[in-house]
Amino acid sequence: MQSLVARSSVVRPSVLRSSARTFATSSARAQAVPTEKPVLNKEFKIYRWNPDEPAAKPKLQTYTVDLNQCGPMILDALIKIKNETDPTLTFRRSCREGICGSCAMNINGQNTLACLCRIDRNESKDTKIYPLPHMYIVKDLVPDLTLFYKQYKSIEPYLKNDNPPADREFLQSQEDRRKLDGMYECILCACCSTSCPSYWWNQDEYLGPATLMAAYRWMADSRDTYSAQRKEKLQNEMSLYRCHTIFNCARTCPKGLNPAAAIAKIKLELAAD
Amino acid sequence: MSSALVARSAINARLASTFARRSLRPLAVHARSVSDAAYVPGGPIYKGTVNDPTDFPPPSKTHGSYHWAFERLLSAGLVPMTVAAFATSSSSYPLLDGILGVSLVMHSHIGFDSIVVDYLHPRKFPILGRVFTWTLRATTVGVLVGVYQFNTNDIGLTELIAKVWHA
Repeated sequence: MQSLVARSSVVRPSVLRSSARTFATSSARAQAVPTEKPVLNKEFKIYRWNPDEPAAKPKLQTYTVDLNQCGPMILDALIKIKNETDPTLTFRRSCREGICGSCAMNINGQNTLACLCRIDRNESKDTKIYPLPHMYIVKDLVPDLTLFYKQYKSIEPYLKNDNPPADREFLQSQEDRRKLDGMYECILCACCSTSCPSYWWNQDEYLGPATLMAAYRWMADSRDTYSAQRKEKLQNEMSLYRCHTIFNCARTCPKGLNPAAAIAKIKLELAAD
Repeated sequence: MSSALVARSAINARLASTFARRSLRPLAVHARSVSDAAYVPGGPIYKGTVNDPTDFPPPSKTHGSYHWAFERLLSAGLVPMTVAAFATSSSSYPLLDGILGVSLVMHSHIGFDSIVVDYLHPRKFPILGRVFTWTLRATTVGVLVGVYQFNTNDIGLTELIAKVWHA
């Protein structure tokens, strides 16, 4: 980089003289001194469990982060801890902007996405971070979502229609399209399902709010002709009717969606059948 | 560069072998039967492979929407029934008193049954779950008989509550 600047300054010294001066050649005295922020240390207590030592009990490990040297979100703090303090800390993350759903975890007792959750800047209170509750843990903050995805697959989350238009797009009225608003935005982060007590006790049979909202998303789609078959699958004691309208799903959803409303609509449609 | 690649592939191979070993256990369990795999506390045992969707119980409207609609209509119906029982004297309307007694008992039976299904389902508690299910059924029948006796031979539910209220 330096050699590049130096060479180009030889070619066109008049243009680049000012910029070249700000590089290594300038003295420290000539540079502006950044204003020092005070140290704002905050404690993060993070759930740790290592599958390589299965006999060791999971524990809370405390990390101290200077919030003034860290981004505003919980995920920033986690990445800072992993980069600078403890590279063995394990968590999922991808998009850092709330669209991939990877960093779902339980922060201060609330399931949410770490990338959308601001750090509470009150340094006297620590922040506790756990993996999603009532899930099998792969390591540290990484839950095993296999069953969650198997359940999502079971509701056939794709358009089913035996007579699609052959020569053009599948048209839909604006009213019909509007029925899908508030459902298609779900990113399957599993925050809602893992906040649901019914899902905690019966997750091997009960589908859970995320999967049920996905199921209703396809029932409500005007282009899907398999509504009756989709509904019939849910006609049993466990898959749908373990929902007792606790509303934890609607309260915890980091995307502001309302799975409870979708489940209520399924129940109403099943009862009206 | 190449050594790093070799190291990474070695790690991958080791990972793959561990996963293969881990996934053997559920496979061995499910070689016998895919549909009725035993519930194992303390570990995830999936039905089928990780790529198979979960299956659904056989559809039954009696256990599904009919049960739900009945439960909700019963709960909603209890409100006017309770008001009517308060407004009228039970001795002049024994039929209303009887319906209220039966509805209350059914309502609480469904509620308790929900608790048993939620927390003590026979698939998780093969003995305890069945014991509780049948205890609940026996209790409900007993209470129904008792309410019938009380309503026919004694003052009846509404009168009793009115008496206790004024006592």
